[in-house]
Amino acid sequence: MSYYLLLSALLFAIGLYGVLARRTAILIFMSVELMLNSANLALAAFARGSGNLNGQAMALIVIALAAAEVAVGLGIVVAVFRSRQSTAVDDLAEFRG
Amino acid sequence: MLLILIILLPLLGFAYLGLFGKSLKEPQPGILASALTGISFLLVLWGVLSGGASWQIKDWLPGIPFSLLLDHLSGYMGLVVTGIGFLIHVYAIGYMHGDEGFSRFFAYLNFFIAMMMTLVLAGSYPVMFIGWEGVGLASFLLIGFWYTVKKNADSARKAFITNRIGDLGFLLGMALLYGSFGTLSIPELRSAINGSYVLPMGLSLAGLLLFVGAVGKSAQVPLMVWLPDAMAGPTPVSALIHAATMVTAGVYLIARSSFLYVNLQDVSYIIALVGITTAAYGALSALGQWDIKKIVAYSTISQLGYMFLAVGVGAYWIAIFHVMTHAFYKALLFLASGSVIHSLDGEQDIRKMGGLKKYLPRTNLHGLAGALSLAGFPLLAGFWSKDAIITATLNYPFGGTGFYVAGLTVALLTAIYAMRWYALVFLGEYKGEGRPHESPAVMTVPNDVLALGAVFAGLLALPKPLWNLVEPYLAPALAHVEVHEMSLALEWGLITLSAVVALVGLYLGYAAFTRWALPKWYQTFQTWSEKAFYVDLVYNTLIVNPLKELAVLLDWLDKIFDSGYLLLASSSKWLAEQLSWVQAGYVRVYGALMALGLVVLLVWGVLR
Repeated sequence: MSYYLLLSALLFAIGLYGVLARRTAILIFMSVELMLNSANLALAAFARGSGNLNGQAMALIVIALAAAEVAVGLGIVVAVFRSRQSTAVDDLAEFRG
Repeated sequence: MLLILIILLPLLGFAYLGLFGKSLKEPQPGILASALTGISFLLVLWGVLSGGASWQIKDWLPGIPFSLLLDHLSGYMGLVVTGIGFLIHVYAIGYMHGDEGFSRFFAYLNFFIAMMMTLVLAGSYPVMFIGWEGVGLASFLLIGFWYTVKKNADSARKAFITNRIGDLGFLLGMALLYGSFGTLSIPELRSAINGSYVLPMGLSLAGLLLFVGAVGKSAQVPLMVWLPDAMAGPTPVSALIHAATMVTAGVYLIARSSFLYVNLQDVSYIIALVGITTAAYGALSALGQWDIKKIVAYSTISQLGYMFLAVGVGAYWIAIFHVMTHAFYKALLFLASGSVIHSLDGEQDIRKMGGLKKYLPRTNLHGLAGALSLAGFPLLAGFWSKDAIITATLNYPFGGTGFYVAGLTVALLTAIYAMRWYALVFLGEYKGEGRPHESPAVMTVPNDVLALGAVFAGLLALPKPLWNLVEPYLAPALAHVEVHEMSLALEWGLITLSAVVALVGLYLGYAAFTRWALPKWYQTFQTWSEKAFYVDLVYNTLIVNPLKELAVLLDWLDKIFDSGYLLLASSSKWLAEQLSWVQAGYVRVYGALMALGLVVLLVWGVLR
């Protein structure tokens, strides 16, 4: 049980690092996917530990949601690339306070 | 149905020209507006010939119907308003040629006609009040028509605010009548007052308050100051609104309420006094003016004074008769002035005119007809109606002779200033620069019609034993007043006397302003008269300036109140500025902050 959670936390941390440190939008995306899947892993582990299927159902919903999120996100990335010829997120800093 | 159409047609013209007028080419808005007014005239004529009509919406306000009434009085007045209105619309097509606001001008004019007809056709006081306010608004819009010049905008505001004082009187008078009788319909009030033996308390006050409304609208002493300034508007406006129709609304109101005033001798006496005072003030002020339109404007005040004198002494039909003849000759005088101004490219100072007879032969005839009719030259329209008023004062039991002498003296002054106006503009040598040119036919033809009216309209009502068509026609709509019959010899003797007075005045005016050197005392009088006896100055010192000071004081207090809220607003703005650095704009920063927040929450959750 705790190994699953440890792995999940590790994956989450790697994903978070990727989100914060990467510069291109695609890679940030992949990192976000990693974070989502680490959460899925934790949910599946909890489901098994507690003996009912609620956690697994939750994980399925997250997967479906992630698919939708990828569609929208990649759409945005493509649109940004078309208008700027680049996907570097640091260029997108116009909404500054 | 007919009645509402009379009002709706010009109103439709206003809406259409106001919304889409800009897309029309130049003469079109004028033609449309004139045609609508012309149709309204024909509808009124049809209504009058078919013997009157009435129309109403029940329960327009709880207990108060929206009623329109076309009887002899409103039909007669409606014919004057739409008839003269139509002629002036046509004239304005020529006068406003090339003006940027051409279609806007005609939209306002149509709005005015619609509102004036609401006022005239009203069968109850609230409906009349709608028209009353509407013509006030139209007057405001048209005085300030060339609103980019500050003087014009100021004049418009002055007219509006001065009228407001009168309107308050009208409103309070209505409230009192409603409180006493529970109805505001004019026919119902009439039968209620005629049927009651004891008149309710406060009826005098109600009558007086309604009269205050009339004083404001008709520019009587002491609310006359707005009318001369109203000349800032285009000349057709001065002719239509500030001479022929709107300013006579006060007289119309009193005549409409004659069943009330005939029972209020005290209020009628005040009306007569205000009337003769105004007549004298207007005539004295007209003598010293140098602006071609202001002379005519002060003469309008003076003539309105005559009309109020007439309603005050109970000669209601004569007042309404004078409204018509005055509408003809005064509109003619204004339009002739407009023609002169038009031909001199906007020059209004009569010291730079003179000798225009040679350059403007047609306008010269119009001016002459108008001025002679105003002066009361024998057999012209103005002579018959004014003489009827002056003679009627003799029948008045409370100091009739005094009113008669005063009226005759003012008639002499009227003849003098009318001749001064004509002589300085058209006779003598031309003193200005530029070359005057006669106006186009679209302007002279309406003047021809008005000139015919100014000469012949008086023939509708002649003294006994000749025919009188106006008095029996109006009689059903007006209160009946017992008149002590004069002997024919006395009456015709008085007519001869006023003819002689008019002729002497005309000669004096001609001789004094073309041949004689004026004495020194006259120069002093001239200065006073030119400033209209400093009434404006007195009002400014006593009323306007203290109010302005009060406004400044209140503004200052207002600022103190506001400062607390301003502080609140500026402090939250300051806070926002301090925090705005958080919004760095980098996705990375937001992500890091989110993660940090998550950690903080987790740690807090675990340690709790």
